[in-house]
Amino acid sequence: MITAGVDVGAKTVKIVVLRDREVVATAKDLSGFDQAKVASELLAQALEKANVTQGDLAGICSTGAGRKIVSEATHSVTEVSAGAKGSLFINPDVRTVIDVGAEEGRAIRCTEKGKVEDFAVNEKCAAGSGAFTESMARALEVDVAELGKLSLGSDASVPMNAQCAVFAESEVVSLLHAETPKQDISKAIHDAIASRITSMARRIGLNKEVLVIGGVALNVGFIRSLNEAIEMDVIVADDPEFVNALGAALIAAERAN
Amino acid sequence: MAKYKTEPLKCWAKAKELRDKYYQDYATAHERGGIRWTGGAWSFDAIPYGLGDDVYPITGEPYAASIAFNKEFSLKCMEATEAKGWARDLCSYMRNYWGSMYLNKYNFGGPYPKPTFAFQDHICCSHAKWYQVVAEHEDIPYFNIDVSVGPYHLIKDNPQKIKYIVDQMHESIEFLEKVTGREYNDDKLIEAVKTDMRSTSTWAKICELNKNVPAPLEEKSMYSFYVFGTLSKAKKEFADFYDELYDEVKDRVDRGIAAVANERCRLMSDTQPPWGFLKVFRYLEKYGAISVGSLYTFGLVGNWEVKKDGTWGARETYMEKGIEINTRDEALTALADWTLSRPEWQHFYDPGLKTEMMLRIAKEWKLTGVMLHLNRGCEGLSTGIMENRLGLVESGIPVMTFEGNMGDEREFDLGRTMTRIDSFMETLDLEPISAD
Amino acid sequence: MFSKFEEWYRDRHDYARAWKEKSSGKVFGCFCSYVPEEILVAANILPVRVLGSHEPQDVTEPHLFGMFCPFCRDVLAQGLKGRYEYLDGITLAQSCIHLRQAYRSWEQHVDQPFSYYLPHPMSVQSPAAVPYLREELENYKKAVEEFTGSKITNDDLDRGIRILNENREAMHELYKHRIGPEPKLSGKEAMWVTVSSTWIDKEEHTAEIRRVLKLIEEREMDRECGAKLMFVGSENDDIEFINMVESVGATVVVDDHCTGTRYFWNSTADDMNDRIEAIAKRYVERPACPSKDHPVRTRFPHILKLAKDFDVQGVILIQQKFCDPHEADMVPLRKYLEENDIPCLFLEFDVTVPLGPFRIRVEAFLEMVGEEDLF
Ligand code: SF4
Ligand code: SF4
Repeated sequence: MITAGVDVGAKTVKIVVLRDREVVATAKDLSGFDQAKVASELLAQALEKANVTQGDLAGICSTGAGRKIVSEATHSVTEVSAGAKGSLFINPDVRTVIDVGAEEGRAIRCTEKGKVEDFAVNEKCAAGSGAFTESMARALEVDVAELGKLSLGSDASVPMNAQCAVFAESEVVSLLHAETPKQDISKAIHDAIASRITSMARRIGLNKEVLVIGGVALNVGFIRSLNEAIEMDVIVADDPEFVNALGAALIAAERAN
Repeated sequence: MAKYKTEPLKCWAKAKELRDKYYQDYATAHERGGIRWTGGAWSFDAIPYGLGDDVYPITGEPYAASIAFNKEFSLKCMEATEAKGWARDLCSYMRNYWGSMYLNKYNFGGPYPKPTFAFQDHICCSHAKWYQVVAEHEDIPYFNIDVSVGPYHLIKDNPQKIKYIVDQMHESIEFLEKVTGREYNDDKLIEAVKTDMRSTSTWAKICELNKNVPAPLEEKSMYSFYVFGTLSKAKKEFADFYDELYDEVKDRVDRGIAAVANERCRLMSDTQPPWGFLKVFRYLEKYGAISVGSLYTFGLVGNWEVKKDGTWGARETYMEKGIEINTRDEALTALADWTLSRPEWQHFYDPGLKTEMMLRIAKEWKLTGVMLHLNRGCEGLSTGIMENRLGLVESGIPVMTFEGNMGDEREFDLGRTMTRIDSFMETLDLEPISAD
Repeated sequence: MFSKFEEWYRDRHDYARAWKEKSSGKVFGCFCSYVPEEILVAANILPVRVLGSHEPQDVTEPHLFGMFCPFCRDVLAQGLKGRYEYLDGITLAQSCIHLRQAYRSWEQHVDQPFSYYLPHPMSVQSPAAVPYLREELENYKKAVEEFTGSKITNDDLDRGIRILNENREAMHELYKHRIGPEPKLSGKEAMWVTVSSTWIDKEEHTAEIRRVLKLIEEREMDRECGAKLMFVGSENDDIEFINMVESVGATVVVDDHCTGTRYFWNSTADDMNDRIEAIAKRYVERPACPSKDHPVRTRFPHILKLAKDFDVQGVILIQQKFCDPHEADMVPLRKYLEENDIPCLFLEFDVTVPLGPFRIRVEAFLEMVGEEDLF
């Protein structure tokens, strides 16, 4: 059986095509202004890569903030269900999923069957999402990938007012003025976001294994700070950005049965 | 095919008419030589009725909620309050109310009708401060009764707690006589206290009917009715209206009339809803889900007690019990005792008490889950809410939270909230019955 | 000269543990400055005010909704992290809703043998307040007696009252040295003294103030006084912040904080037959927390008098984010002070304050205050 998962996020669209629970193609692009169009074109590309046509598909499940605009979708689920499903598929021992995307952070607690027991979402707070690292990287005048690596070089713990992204930005500027080494500032930034995410995740309880998904999982500085904050080692998903799309494709397969 | 029969409520028109009349009566009280006063939904509104039959209150919370419902005006009110320098995270009812006062605009037309005095209770930090500011701005006298003496179960063995309140009540009557120049009438007070008991116990009886499956009422319509208990508990017309409403809802139950045709998942909410976005409750129907009430709708107005069989029912009034109220002191003591037992007053001291009551509701009203509104607009009712969440979850009840603000729409995100509901429904294995 | 106080401020937990060992007495954590310490001292209990640690933390979100003040969250974090594991009991005196939640969550999730919620009148201006509080204090006294297993006699209460009053007197004497063109201690030093007084054995603390008082006349300050400022507002024990303010050309000479003058300003009458009533009166009549300051605003003239007596050039209004009681006072307070020719700078505090951005604001404020001086 062939199915597809389409994850229309705030910044990017991700697609996973599955054949008999095996990934046969993925695709990713910026969502741009016309998300519906991007999603359609990207889906076509992914199907082409997989060498199948839309008619071959047993189902298409959309997820993400823009899940309702995908006209091709036969089903649609929220990121919570998709994230849990994809994560358990990757690693059946996962009980806690931490999903940090461009605009939102989420924590999901699930059973061994992949059923969601509880979840928490970071409310309207930029300090717990990818947007935060991006604006901080701008303030430090480095790119995001570099920001993460920089912080690995620091063991300092410079406390930062993590409550509010606006203040954090001016704080970074004054730390720069005070000639605090960039790597220490970078560490402070990642500690701050890790602290926000940990706070939220503690609401639902942190049980082993903890899998981190979403684009920010690629940031090594964040992962290191997160490990320190939750006092255990998290697992980072391979291709963390695609886990929700993968979960959606799995759900499409289940529903088709 | 719908699972249950539904019917619109007959009481609607009457409710609307009564509510409009309340606000008009307040505005025009002076033309008729009457008294108008301002205060909170928690105020002992029975006490000013001892000044005569022409006494008209306006209570801040429902008035502010009506402003919040009127989004454009609400935004102006908020901005007027912010322009004076007040913090944006203060109680959003208070900010709406102040804004209406600063702009000198009444939400029901015309200028803001200046009250003769302010008469408030204090259990939430914002209570006393709210009317302190009103009294200063309007240059009117102000009396406030502190009722924060602890939860009811500790009051029975500590008569000094009731005495503290009754002492202040006596003092307040002297205040009322002084600022109005009227002679106080104890018979009218006694009548008002009895009416308060009648309306608040009837409201509990109405809520109790929602234990039935299917529920005859959904929370969104309950908001339109419980409001009378926040406008004035001691007003005869309102108590009479609750009697009528009870009969109608009882009849619905007898005939199996449902509020939501496809009821299959019963929920409760918590704290005041975001008033500008009641469509959230309609959204639930898509899943066959219904909010059958909340501790807030049941227990802010209703008086309850544990019955012989261990379940919750309306508290028996003094009249039902045959306890006589003959003097001012007896009336005030009865009023204090009655009021302090109200459920929504308990959790101010201990979230454990609220969790217990919520678990009780979950069981007796046969709930599947709970939606907690993390309400940034109200520090009072959000007190301890995260502990409530933990307590419910630990007892195995699915809980979803959504952040918002009852009176400041800038702090509410409808799209995200609906997504949150979608996720929650997914975790309950419910798929939509109907399209959006 | 103030190094002992600095050490006490810094090593508060070591002190309490050592005290316990030495005296084999009990230690109670006090939530809020309205806890009647006279009764605890009478029972040979060491009252320690529970404060935060000004570190970012991630443990309170499951318990406390983010709309409540950072101070109460910081307090709860200390409990959840086990920093106060030596406490034998805790007591909350009722004031604001925020701290109340920290107390309830602490009570539920941190082990301690004794916990007491002390209802406390909010209408302190009502004649009903003293008799009511008197009864509540009687109940509290009974609960403490039951817990310790020994009666608190009138003599004990007299001792408790005396010990507290002596400390208050000594504090007043010390504060007198902050008056005049050359204050004899900095605001930071005063903060070490005042804040540590909320957890150090009062007799020991008083003795240390007395020691300092003998030397202070002769003290040569090695810093310029600069502009004389007052702090007013929510709970504040932030040393880094006051240090920053005093490093840019100012000295803080007085305050109105619950961790400052409000804590020690008035004494308990020692000549009343009914000791408990005397204590009740003291807590009803003390400089009010804004949550209890109604219907009349008694705080404002009191603050103005302090500002005048200590001859301050400006006031920094400090408010913990989301602190409703102070938010409800800030607007009229600022107006009141400015109408009385006292310029104000308003700052919103979090667990940690962004020193950089705040420094810029304080400097600008000082320039403004300085300019006014020229004319
Ligand atoms: S915060 Fe809530 S309880 Fe307090 S006054 Fe406002 S609406 Fe009422
Ligand atoms: S008075 Fe303000 S700072 Fe103090 S605990 Fe209450 S809310 Fe927090």
